[in-house]
Amino acid sequence: MSEFFLELFSEEIPPKLQINARNKLFLDLNNFFKDNNINIKGSTESFSTPNRIIINFSNISKEVVKKSQEIRGPSVKAKSEALEGFLKSQKIKKSQIYLKSTEKGEFYFYKKPKQKFKTQDLLKKNLPLILDKINWNKSMKWGNNQMFWGRPLKSILVVFDKKKIEFDFYHLKSSNYTFIDKEFEDKTKSFNNFKSYQSYFKSIKIILDQDKRKDFIINELNNLSKKNNLKINLKEDLLDEINNIVEKPKVILCTFDKKFLKIPKEILIITMQNHQKYIPTFDKKQNLTNYFLVVSDSKDLKGYIKLGNERVIEARLNDAEFFWDRNKSQNLIKQLSDLKKINFFKGLGSYFDKTQRIKKLSSLISDELMISKEKIEIAASICKVDLKSDLVGEYPELQGIMGGHFAETQGFEKEVCQSISEHYLPSGLDSKVPKNPYSVTLSLSDKLDTLVGFFGLDLTPTGSRDPYALRRNTIALVRLIVENKIRIKLRSIVNYSLTLYKEQGYEFDITKVLKELNDFILDRLKNYSKEKNIRLDIIESSILSNDIDELYIGYKKAEVLNRNINKEIGMDVVGIYKRSSNILNTEIIKNKLELSNSVDIGLFKNDFEKNLYKKIQEVKKYFLNVGKNDNFEDSLKELFKFKQDVNSFFDNVKVNDENELIKKNRLELLNLLCKSFDNFFNFSKIES
Amino acid sequence: MVSKNKKLKKSFLSFQDTIFNLQKYWSKQGCIILQPYDLEVGAGTFHPATTLRSLGIKPWRTAYVQPSRRPTDGRYGDNPNRLQHYYQFQVLIKPSPNNIKKLFLNSLSSLGIKHEEHDIRFVEDDWESPTLGAAGLGWEVWCDGMEITQFTYFQQMAGIECHPVSVEITYGLERLCMFIQNKKNVFDLSWNNQGILYKDVFHQSEKEFSAYNFEYANTDNLFKIFDMLEDEAKLLTEKKLSLPAYDQCLKASHVFNILDSRGVISVAQRAEYIARIRELTKMIGKIWIESQI
Repeated sequence: MSEFFLELFSEEIPPKLQINARNKLFLDLNNFFKDNNINIKGSTESFSTPNRIIINFSNISKEVVKKSQEIRGPSVKAKSEALEGFLKSQKIKKSQIYLKSTEKGEFYFYKKPKQKFKTQDLLKKNLPLILDKINWNKSMKWGNNQMFWGRPLKSILVVFDKKKIEFDFYHLKSSNYTFIDKEFEDKTKSFNNFKSYQSYFKSIKIILDQDKRKDFIINELNNLSKKNNLKINLKEDLLDEINNIVEKPKVILCTFDKKFLKIPKEILIITMQNHQKYIPTFDKKQNLTNYFLVVSDSKDLKGYIKLGNERVIEARLNDAEFFWDRNKSQNLIKQLSDLKKINFFKGLGSYFDKTQRIKKLSSLISDELMISKEKIEIAASICKVDLKSDLVGEYPELQGIMGGHFAETQGFEKEVCQSISEHYLPSGLDSKVPKNPYSVTLSLSDKLDTLVGFFGLDLTPTGSRDPYALRRNTIALVRLIVENKIRIKLRSIVNYSLTLYKEQGYEFDITKVLKELNDFILDRLKNYSKEKNIRLDIIESSILSNDIDELYIGYKKAEVLNRNINKEIGMDVVGIYKRSSNILNTEIIKNKLELSNSVDIGLFKNDFEKNLYKKIQEVKKYFLNVGKNDNFEDSLKELFKFKQDVNSFFDNVKVNDENELIKKNRLELLNLLCKSFDNFFNFSKIES
Repeated sequence: MVSKNKKLKKSFLSFQDTIFNLQKYWSKQGCIILQPYDLEVGAGTFHPATTLRSLGIKPWRTAYVQPSRRPTDGRYGDNPNRLQHYYQFQVLIKPSPNNIKKLFLNSLSSLGIKHEEHDIRFVEDDWESPTLGAAGLGWEVWCDGMEITQFTYFQQMAGIECHPVSVEITYGLERLCMFIQNKKNVFDLSWNNQGILYKDVFHQSEKEFSAYNFEYANTDNLFKIFDMLEDEAKLLTEKKLSLPAYDQCLKASHVFNILDSRGVISVAQRAEYIARIRELTKMIGKIWIESQI
C-alpha cells in the first residue's frame, strides 16, 4: 500500500477557478482509481492555496490485477481484414483465438489472460490526460507555450510510493520538487511523502487546508473583535473569497476617521466589503463603527500594512464624502428634466418618460392599496434621479438606496424616501421583499412598466438567454404580490401601462402583449411555487381557474391544497370530487347528455338524494358569503363536510336508474356537486 | 542618526525619481526605454509600442512613461485622488518571461518597497478593452490594500489571438508615489527634491481641462471630427499604412472620450462608437501583422 501525492504550483489563481480546478481534479482522480479497480484504503484529500492545488490519497494498492476476460472478435463471415485488425489490436497470433457460436452467429474469441499492472505505470500514462481535462471557466496562455491554464503553471510534483513519477505535460516535466517561495520562485525543495510536505509548510506558517484556514480566520476575527467590544456579521461569500486569496492569514484591526460615519452606511459597507475585502464592525446597538478588520497575507512586521490599508480606506471614503456632500444637496425636483438625457431603452424613451409612466401607474395602484396618491406620485417622479449622481456612478449597486438618502436629506416624507430606497427590491430569490405599501407600489409600477415595454418591443427572453433580466423582474413582481398578499387586478394595470406608452407615442400590439405577458407571469408563478415545493399539477390547476388578476389567490389556494393533499382531508376532498366527476363525465359522453344545471326536487326518490341536495345548498351559501376572505383552510373544511352525504348517496343510490328522467336528475345532482367544488378549485387536473 | 536619515531620504523618493528608478531598473532587464507617444491616449496600452508590438512573433521588450487622459475623471483639481490627466509607467515584454513576477517584485524594491514588509497581493482582474478589441488575464497588484499596478497577460489584441503572449505591467505613477511618499492628496506629491509639488505643475491644467471636457468642448464639431478621422483611417488602411492609420484611430478615440464626458452620447450610441473604433483597430492590426513578415 502506497501514497499518491500531487501538487500543482502556479502563479496566483483566482478563488473560483482555484476551487473548481481542485474539485474537478479530485473527482477525476477518484474516478481514475475506481475505473481501473485500484483500491484506495486510506484517506482522500484535496487542498488549495492561491498558488497550489494539492491532492493526497493514502493506502493505494501498488498493483492492480485485471481478471481474465473473453473478448469477442469479428464474425466468421467478416472479411479477413477484420480478423487481421483484431489480432493486431490485441497483439496476438491466430493460434490464440478460437471459434464459438452465439445467438448472433459464429464469432472469433480471444481469452485474455489475467494481467497485472503497476499503479505507478497507469498514473504515468494517465495523469497528463487527467490534468488536461480540467475545464477552466477562463484560461490563458503565456510566453511561447501552448498550454492553457488558469494562470501560468510552474511545476508539477507527483509522488507515488515515495518515488517521483515523471511525465511530460506540454513544456513542463513532472518531478518531486516544488517552489517553496511563491514570490520569487527561486527556491525549490523536493518531497517524497505528503507528511514531510505538510510539516514543511506548517513550519513556515502556511495553512494548506482551506477548511482549517477558514476556521483559523473566523477564530482570529472573532477573537479580535470580541477583545475590542465589536460585533461582526460574517458574510459567507466574502469569507470564502478572503480565505482563497491568502495562505498565511493574519488579522489586523484598523480604523478610519470617525467623521466618515456621517456618510450613509451602505456606502461605507460596500467600500469595505466589496471593494477592499475588509470586515466592517458594529457596536452593541448594531451601529457601524470606524473600526474594520483586514485579513492580510503577511505579518505586519513594521506596521506598514495597517497604515497602508487605513490610508486606502481614507482615500476611498474621502472620495465618497466628496460626492455625498455634493450630491445630497442637489435638488431632486430641479434635476428631473435631466432625466430626459438618460436613455431608458431604445424605443421606450428616456428615464424621464419612464418616471412619467410609473407615476401614473403608481397612482392607479395607490387606489387599490389605499395609500396617499400625492406621496406616491412624488416618490415615482423622483425615484430615478439618483441615476445621475456621482455616487450611483461610483456605486451602481446603491441605485435607489442613494435616492432614498438624498430624499431624506432634502426633507421628503418618510414613505417617499423609503419607497425610493426600496423600489428595486426584491432583487433576487433570496432578497428581502419590501412590506411598506408605498415601496410595493413603486416597485410594482417600475417592474410592470419595464415588462410591458420589453414585451411591446418583442424582446422577450428566449431559451436561457434573458439579457434584460425580464425573468428576474417578473419573479420579483410575483413575490411582491404573493408575499404581501395583495389582491390586485394586474390585467387592468397592464392595459393602463399600454395606454401610457401609447400616449407617449410608443404603440404596441395590445392583444399580443397582454396574452404573452399573462402567460409569462403565470410561468414565473409556477417556478416560484416549485421553489416552495408545491406540486406542479396543483399550481397548474390553480392557475387554470385564475388569470393574472388573481395571482395571490391562485398561489394561496395551491399552497393550502398542497399542504393538505396528503392528509385525510385533502385525499377525501379530491376523492369525492373524482368519484363524482368520473361518473358524470362517463355518462355525459356515453349518452350525449346536455345538462340544464338545475335539479328537479320532485324527482328525488329518497333521503340520500335530498340530504346531498341540502348539503349542496349549504355549501353554496358558504361560498356566496365567503367573499374576500382568503381563509382557504375553511373552504377546504367546508368541502370535506360532503364526505358523509356523498358516501351515503353512492352507497345507496343507483345513478343509472331505468327511468331516464330520474337518471338525468341524479346526474344533474352530481353536476351541482362538482360545481360546488369548482367554487374553490379546479380539481379536474389534480392527480389523486 | 544614520538610520533616521536613511528613512527620511526614503520617504522623499520624488515623482521624477520614481520614474528614473523604474526606467533604470527596466532598462537593466533589457527593455528599450521609449518616450511617451505624442498623441492623447487613454492609457499606456494605446501606445503603438504596446498595441501593435504585442502582435506578431517578433520578441519585444520596452518600458516608457505615458501621459494618459480620461476626460470623465476630471474633478477641476478639487478631488485629492482624481485627475483627467495622469501618468502611467508601462512595461511590455514579449514573450512573457517565466520569472516576470520576480522581475516585477524587484522593480518595487528599486522604489524602496520590500515585499517582506508589505502585504502584496495578486488580485484577479481580467482586462478587456472593447475599443482595442483586446483582452487579457491577470491581476491588479495590491500593496497593503492599495492597487498600485496592473499585471496582464495579453490573450487577444485588435481581435487577433496573441502568440507568443506578451505581459504588460502598468504602474499608476501618482498612486504609487502617494504610497511611497505617504501623501493623501495627489497635488501634494513632491515632483522633485527641490520643493516643486505636483500641484505646481498640474493644478491649473486639471481645472482648465475639466472645464473644457465637461462644459466647453464643441460637441457639434467633435462629432464631425470623429467622422473625418474615421474616414481618414479607413483610407490609410486601404493604402496599407498601418501606423498613420492607427494615429487617426487614437485621435478618434480621444474625441469620443471628450464627447462622452460632455454627456452627449447615449447608451446605444456609446456601443456604436466603440464598435466603430474597434473595427478600425482590427483592420489596422491585420495590416500591421502582414507588414511584419
